[in-house]
Amino acid sequence: MQSLDFKNQDSGYFKKFKSFFLSLIKNKWALGSLIWLLIIINVAIFASQIVPHDPNRNNIMERVAPPLATDKDGNIKYIIGSDALGRDALSRLIYGTQVSLVVGFAAVFIGGFIGILFGIYAGYYGKWIDDIVMRLADIQLAFPFILLAILFLVVLGEGLINLILVLGIGQWVTYARIARAQTIAQKEKEYIEAAKALGVSDFSIMFGSILPNIFAPLIVIASFNIASVILAEAALSFLGLGVPPQVPTWGAMLAESRDHIFARRWWLPFFPGMAILLTVLAFNIIGDWLRDYLDPRLKEVE
Amino acid sequence: MLVYILRRLPQTILVILGVTLITFIALQIGGDPTYLFVSERASPEEIIATRIKLGFDKPLYVQYLTYLKNLLLFDFGDSLYFRQPAMKVIFETLPATIELTIFSMLIAVFGSIPFGVYAAINRGKWLDGTLMAIAMLGQSVPNFWLGIMCILYISLNISWLPISGHVPFLMPIFQGDFMQGIKNFPTTVTYLLLPSFAVAFYSLSRNARLVRSSMLEVLSQDYVRTARAKGLTEYTVIMRHAMRNAWLPVVTIIGLEFGFMISGVVVVEVVFAWPGLGRTVFDAIAHRDIPLVQASVVVIALFVIIINLITDLIYAKLDPRIKL
Amino acid sequence: MKKLITGVAIVFGLILPSTYTLAAPPDDTFVVGLPTDTKGLEPAQISSRHTANIMKHMFGTLFFISEKGTLDPNLAESYSVSDDAKEYTFKLKEGLTCHDGEPLTAEDVAYTFNRVVDPDLAFVGNSAGFVFPSIDFQEARADSELEVTIVMGAPNHVALGLISEVYVHCKDSYEKMSKEEAAENPIGSGAYEFVKWDKGNQIVMKKAKGSAVSANFENLIWRVIPEASTRTAELIAGNVDMITNASPDQVDAIDASNSAKVQKVSGTRRMYVGFHQGEEYAVTEGGAAIQKAEVRRAIQYAVDVEAICANLLNAPCERATGLVNPNNAHPTLKPYPYNPEIAEYLLDQAGYPRDGNGVRFEITLEAGQGRYLNDKNVVLAICQYLDDIGIKTTCDIMDWSSVYVPKIRKKEAGPMFFLGSGGGTWNPLYDMSDLATVESGPNYTKWTNEEWFKGWKVINNSMDPYVIRREIDRMLEVFYNEGPWLLLYFQPDFYGVSNRVKWQERRDEEVDIFDASLAN
Repeated sequence: MQSLDFKNQDSGYFKKFKSFFLSLIKNKWALGSLIWLLIIINVAIFASQIVPHDPNRNNIMERVAPPLATDKDGNIKYIIGSDALGRDALSRLIYGTQVSLVVGFAAVFIGGFIGILFGIYAGYYGKWIDDIVMRLADIQLAFPFILLAILFLVVLGEGLINLILVLGIGQWVTYARIARAQTIAQKEKEYIEAAKALGVSDFSIMFGSILPNIFAPLIVIASFNIASVILAEAALSFLGLGVPPQVPTWGAMLAESRDHIFARRWWLPFFPGMAILLTVLAFNIIGDWLRDYLDPRLKEVE
Repeated sequence: MLVYILRRLPQTILVILGVTLITFIALQIGGDPTYLFVSERASPEEIIATRIKLGFDKPLYVQYLTYLKNLLLFDFGDSLYFRQPAMKVIFETLPATIELTIFSMLIAVFGSIPFGVYAAINRGKWLDGTLMAIAMLGQSVPNFWLGIMCILYISLNISWLPISGHVPFLMPIFQGDFMQGIKNFPTTVTYLLLPSFAVAFYSLSRNARLVRSSMLEVLSQDYVRTARAKGLTEYTVIMRHAMRNAWLPVVTIIGLEFGFMISGVVVVEVVFAWPGLGRTVFDAIAHRDIPLVQASVVVIALFVIIINLITDLIYAKLDPRIKL
Repeated sequence: MKKLITGVAIVFGLILPSTYTLAAPPDDTFVVGLPTDTKGLEPAQISSRHTANIMKHMFGTLFFISEKGTLDPNLAESYSVSDDAKEYTFKLKEGLTCHDGEPLTAEDVAYTFNRVVDPDLAFVGNSAGFVFPSIDFQEARADSELEVTIVMGAPNHVALGLISEVYVHCKDSYEKMSKEEAAENPIGSGAYEFVKWDKGNQIVMKKAKGSAVSANFENLIWRVIPEASTRTAELIAGNVDMITNASPDQVDAIDASNSAKVQKVSGTRRMYVGFHQGEEYAVTEGGAAIQKAEVRRAIQYAVDVEAICANLLNAPCERATGLVNPNNAHPTLKPYPYNPEIAEYLLDQAGYPRDGNGVRFEITLEAGQGRYLNDKNVVLAICQYLDDIGIKTTCDIMDWSSVYVPKIRKKEAGPMFFLGSGGGTWNPLYDMSDLATVESGPNYTKWTNEEWFKGWKVINNSMDPYVIRREIDRMLEVFYNEGPWLLLYFQPDFYGVSNRVKWQERRDEEVDIFDASLAN
């Protein structure tokens, strides 16, 4: 009789998960970061349910109200204050979570997708494909990211889609390089030879066998990448090239608060600034921890 | 060495061509740039006349080919906005950006070394934790934000620290007035302090962490243990033996850093009213000043490529294991 | 390592003393903080108020037009008009020179004017693109050593003012220079002489000896500081004496500092939302709606202009009644009050009731950003007001110079668009000349109202000021009732001024430093 002894069913995955989990708990910073990210992801998902006001309804008579400002009846109307147009800062911060996360994940997804695709092809086939991809990478690297972003955004105009495209396309090179290097390393391994001998198609080999094995360093990059995309969005908003004016993002809120610093309206830059800081920090910490966990030798991956 | 440089040349040219093509296409996608060069109340005839004068009526490929031909002659055309040779406008603002970038790189590279080394030798103690916390924060703050905060809380309160602006150092030297440049140097440095810090802080943080982990790795190596066993002081062990190898990863990063740093430079130049190439490019793009944008991009690309080449060579020199 | 630290310390020790000179400018110098650099220093090629302000200190014009419209001699001391009103003859002052020593005579003035329309030089800008076509410039000729005549194609009531917008320079010096050289090496004729231009950083001038106009400060420096909070910081720190375009939100902070204050002035720039009247926009429901005068009138009641001024511009204002500045406006028309109930009633009456979703019709409002005071927020506020009375407005705010300006120039912005138009206080006709003819460049709404445009014939053919003023008032009534503008406000200007100096601002966005002085 087969014993239904679950406790001893330590399959490979279960073991991995257990050690993953334990390592996470031991590192309080990583744990804290993960909790923070879970919080903001939930905020993003349930944004429309939890916002106290319409984030785009402006009310210029009640502009730049400080936190905990009350309305005529003494009820607290603006929990963290209102901005230069009288829009509720908290509602905008909450919706900003959506935009910042979407922009971060989407840009990284696009960059990662393109980069990994190119990188694996380049590493696997080598020769002229490799040359072309590496030349493209060199051209892109010679082009400082922000100039590329400015160029395209000024020409294509503002817009969430354009922003994501620009940020995404700007990121592919790092993924490509690592994917290529890792693919080259994996290419010579036995299991690849075996698969080839069995007649498995190149495509299946590249994306069925190699990709899962090189995923680890790519995830680490992705984590750091999201952090830098969020910072890049803030910089582009500062230069006036971010999202259109009504769309709330943390970067745009921070950029808009510049004029008010002198007026001592501290809440205007403080909350979006903290949101950016904590989120970016969280992604950086998780990236660090993932890297240390997955392979301590991957120190040069960043 | 020479062979290596020659081998890299075709690659460099290809990269520059690619860069000019991208800028050219990108700027034409948006439509007719004629309208930026006429007064608010100009007549339609005047607009048409302007379009012809500025060459926007010719087919695209003709415009691009003419441009390439001029490139070889180092003629980048006239800046449409300034109505002067683009090269001249760039040359006037390039020195300021060179000053800022080099100073920032110095801070990012040399500042990170004591940072990372102290953290490594004090591993696990509070100094390590504090330094690493600062480094993490450094990689999590938008750099325009850092710049504005610096102005508000540091330079506004310290009267001898300038808030914004620039006193030229390289420019007089390039123009031959050596003495003026040297005389200006101390003042230039005070103007450089805060902007360079704002540009460099991100890289400095990143490098510091790199130095730290690199140092930790080196310190656990055999030859270090041997040195310690020989009875050398900790100081000598670190300085003479460990440092040299811990340094290498930082050098490889410098090339990539440079391109990234330009991104920070544009933003910081706006905040600190630094009259450099980053600001010129930004204004030029807003004005659809195609010749100036293309010229700037080519110059910046050349700059980045040269720096990459130099760092590759330095790396090769430093690490005999690498063959050119 | 120790050596390195000692080294750095020594360097710092050397640096500190030499930098103690940073701080307030010296007593003989006045420093202005500007948000943008100038395009070039070519006097025939000026496209913005900023550049004009800088050039005005280096180059003389024939006359100064003061804010009140009085003529003050600059290079000319008197003028006369021909019988057919097409020729203006100016008598220059004696003994004028340009900054390189060349004597300035009638020949040079004629050369200046003729050079503007030189086909080889192909200038674009205020002179070539607005002034000269407006006066239908024919030629300029020197009649004698000190008398120069400007010949126009037709009489023009505002000719003197327009002619005085042309910056005069000498013939020999400019003949020798190529167009590129001229843009960098201005040789002027005004109160200040060009010293140097550090691109993106500053323009430095010093007082010219023997100029026709006097000035107080020996040195004048225009510093370029794009970032608003940095500009304010420099003002408060005392490094800069005056900043233009101080942000309304920083006004209180500047006033609260002990080192500077804000001088607020109600400007002359007319801010409005245009209602496009062209056929191309009549195809949408919203576009067709605003082509009806009743709908436009209704919309006038929907926007609380006074709240916008008070809250977003930090400058209480009275709403405009037309396109003419208050001192010359229609004497009895009252501004439309903010009354959303009337607006809703009128829209119902006009045949646009609210549907099931509360929407009357949809429309788009286009605007650029970054050009006018708090423009983005003003536009967003206006869109909200329209939404509130049932007009579902899409607020399309785009980049000013690369996207919006081309649209405006082609008269394709719409169906509603936000814009400002520079005005003046010295003659209502100057303000009205935005709509001098249907084909006028600034007629961005493509308005064709007969009642308005027929008035120009009356005005141009009359020399009787009473007849002219009566016609102006009639036209302004038409504009009030059926005009293509959603009337807003005249843009206030905020100048931050250091307590170190005394400086008088002007309402028409012109900046004069000639009479500025130290505060004590």
